Amino acid sequence: MRVAIAGMGWVTPLGAGLNEVWAALMEGRSGHEVELKSPDSDRIYRCLGVEETLVRPLTRTPRLRRSSAISYYTAAAGLAAIADAGLERERIAQLRFALIFAVASGGVAYTRRFYEKVARDGAGSASPLLFPETVYNAPASHLSSLLGTEGATYTLVGDATVGVEALSLGRQLLRTDEADYCLVVGGEELDWILCEAYRQWRLLDFARSGEIYARRPRGMQMSEGAASVLLAREGPTVIDRISGGVPFFRRAEIGDALAAALAPHAAADIVVSSANGTFIDAAERNVLASRASQTLFAPKSLLGEPLGSGALAQVICAAQALARQELPGTVRAGDWAVVNRQSRSLKEAKTALVPVVGLNHQVAAVGLRV
Amino acid sequence: MITAAGVVSPLGIGLDATLDSLRTGRDAVSPVTGFDVSATRSSTAGQVGKMGQLSREEAGEDPRRLHPAGRMMIAAALELHKADPGFQPEAAVTGTTSGGMAYGEAFFRTWLQRGASPRRGTWLANYSPQKPVLDAQRAAGWRASAQIIANACASGSNAIGHAMNLIRSGQRDRVLCGGYDTISELVFVGFDSLQAATAEKIRPFDRDRTGLVLGEGAALLALEEAESAHRRGAPVLAEVMGYGISTDNHHLTQPHPSGEGPYLAMRRALDSAGVKPDAIEYINAHGTATTFNDATEGRAIARLFPHRPPVSSTKSMMGHSLGAAGAIEAVFTMLALRHDFLPPNIHYQNADPQWDLDIVANQMRPAKITRAMSNSFGFGGTNAAIILQKS
Repeated sequence: MRVAIAGMGWVTPLGAGLNEVWAALMEGRSGHEVELKSPDSDRIYRCLGVEETLVRPLTRTPRLRRSSAISYYTAAAGLAAIADAGLERERIAQLRFALIFAVASGGVAYTRRFYEKVARDGAGSASPLLFPETVYNAPASHLSSLLGTEGATYTLVGDATVGVEALSLGRQLLRTDEADYCLVVGGEELDWILCEAYRQWRLLDFARSGEIYARRPRGMQMSEGAASVLLAREGPTVIDRISGGVPFFRRAEIGDALAAALAPHAAADIVVSSANGTFIDAAERNVLASRASQTLFAPKSLLGEPLGSGALAQVICAAQALARQELPGTVRAGDWAVVNRQSRSLKEAKTALVPVVGLNHQVAAVGLRV
Repeated sequence: MITAAGVVSPLGIGLDATLDSLRTGRDAVSPVTGFDVSATRSSTAGQVGKMGQLSREEAGEDPRRLHPAGRMMIAAALELHKADPGFQPEAAVTGTTSGGMAYGEAFFRTWLQRGASPRRGTWLANYSPQKPVLDAQRAAGWRASAQIIANACASGSNAIGHAMNLIRSGQRDRVLCGGYDTISELVFVGFDSLQAATAEKIRPFDRDRTGLVLGEGAALLALEEAESAHRRGAPVLAEVMGYGISTDNHHLTQPHPSGEGPYLAMRRALDSAGVKPDAIEYINAHGTATTFNDATEGRAIARLFPHRPPVSSTKSMMGHSLGAAGAIEAVFTMLALRHDFLPPNIHYQNADPQWDLDIVANQMRPAKITRAMSNSFGFGGTNAAIILQKS
């Protein structure tokens, strides 16, 4: 049974409109920079953040008034995808509608704040207002409430591949006729503790070079936001094939895992990769180089690494490229010939491959066609 | 079909020890000693006892680095694998609510104390929710794509139901499913801050219940398409035959008083199984002993099952293991089907006049049953019900 993308929406450091963000990518613009400071130290993390004005109207919604940023981003992206599909939000409750939320770190800001109080001042200071917002599925619950849905709502947690797993689950729900529409949203929010963790793992790019596919990986720039696609049985972009999260236990195994994930996929006209300036780049480069030469765009060079929302952002980029027959350039790419450095038109591109390598032991891939 | 299972819970390590505990109605709740509970209302939890040592070969790495969740999942996986070595999963679906939270706490506390602990890398590597799942896969020699559902307390049942649907829809023949969660200070204090936890015994469905007690554990089940299992001569323990899911948007932490969310999930499970309500002969309830959950669940059960099937909450014995609960309780329900008994709802003293339920009070009840339902309802309005059938 055919499953297609009927609508898309996102909230990113480059803005929130589907076309606005695409135009920024085509111009090679980088996202809005924010500085997060590690308290009690002079360490500063320069990240790409979502401007608060983009989601301000949602902060006044009664259900969301105590929520963390991730819930605002998730709601905004999900509502935008529904609008893009031409569905009326007020009708959603009457439809057979499923919701899947994909996340890697979750409501990390409130989690850190909640536990910081407990660790410093004891259990008696624990906030009952913060705790419920720390659960992974809080954003999904809020969005479901805004839409009035009472069908299947799932939250999936994982690394960057979680967005692909969410697409896979959504496609399954349509194929087994459990739903007529499935809204798939990936979301993430920034917090200094997250940056500190990735600094400890030596994965951050403190020089802010933003370089992808460098011979020596320089690290990634953390970012945040949300990306959403509405799946239906009809739509301009068809989900051709999904290779779910294939695990690897050691970094040395990434190449084999990615090759296995990509094996069922035919060569595509364009590739939208998950390269983010870390060890992921070399793994992708080695495997993709062995396939037919393809035109490649790496959106995280401009969007940063938004973890749980990254794969869906890649999918939106691929769908936009096929719809508009144009591809942004990866302006700060290392010396790899297949990378498309300048924005350009495409000629009758009909298929796209979206490989996703996660930082935490899984790889996946999505194939799209128009 | 369920061809094998593995379980680690406060009631025991492994199916045999668990069966003994269920039959005797063992109270496996004990004082919490892992962190300071002097300022919390609740001070007890269902905690997994001392586990045997894992070898480096079994763990795939230095076992001392593993999060307790990883150790529990490995133990469950090895038990399953030993019972059915021919089971090779094509996909893995597990549920959790907090992943490796205790290690995240350790990392943060070290930062607060401005210490440079040599274990920080270990904590980070073992904090992510997928790590225990990968630990289990590596120990058992599996390499399947992993989906991890974080639907709060419904996660484990969601995982089993989704696995059933993957097989029923023909997308997979063999799916590993289950759930895990471990006690962590953040979650313990969190439930306490909501005044959802009790200072006394957990008494599900009792008129005078005062809240939940947290628990921990892990359970894994091998699900396989019937024909595939039959072809390879796999053992068959029970069948997962129905799954229902619903969302209740009333409040982030409280169900709608009408019980409509649980009612819908249970009714959809019946529809999925193609059976009428009177086909259900036992319900393993979510039964957290909070005022709200038991009220809504009790109402929903009474409304949907007027024939009054026996009901018990095994959380009375081991506490609420959150993302693991649905999976652990599916194993309990499977054991009940196979061994002809109904697990007890212990600490039950007074019936709640809001409903007329047949609670399996305090002692196990011998019963030959064919079909049972297991419920799991969670924060965010997530509701799930699964139906198991004796083979």
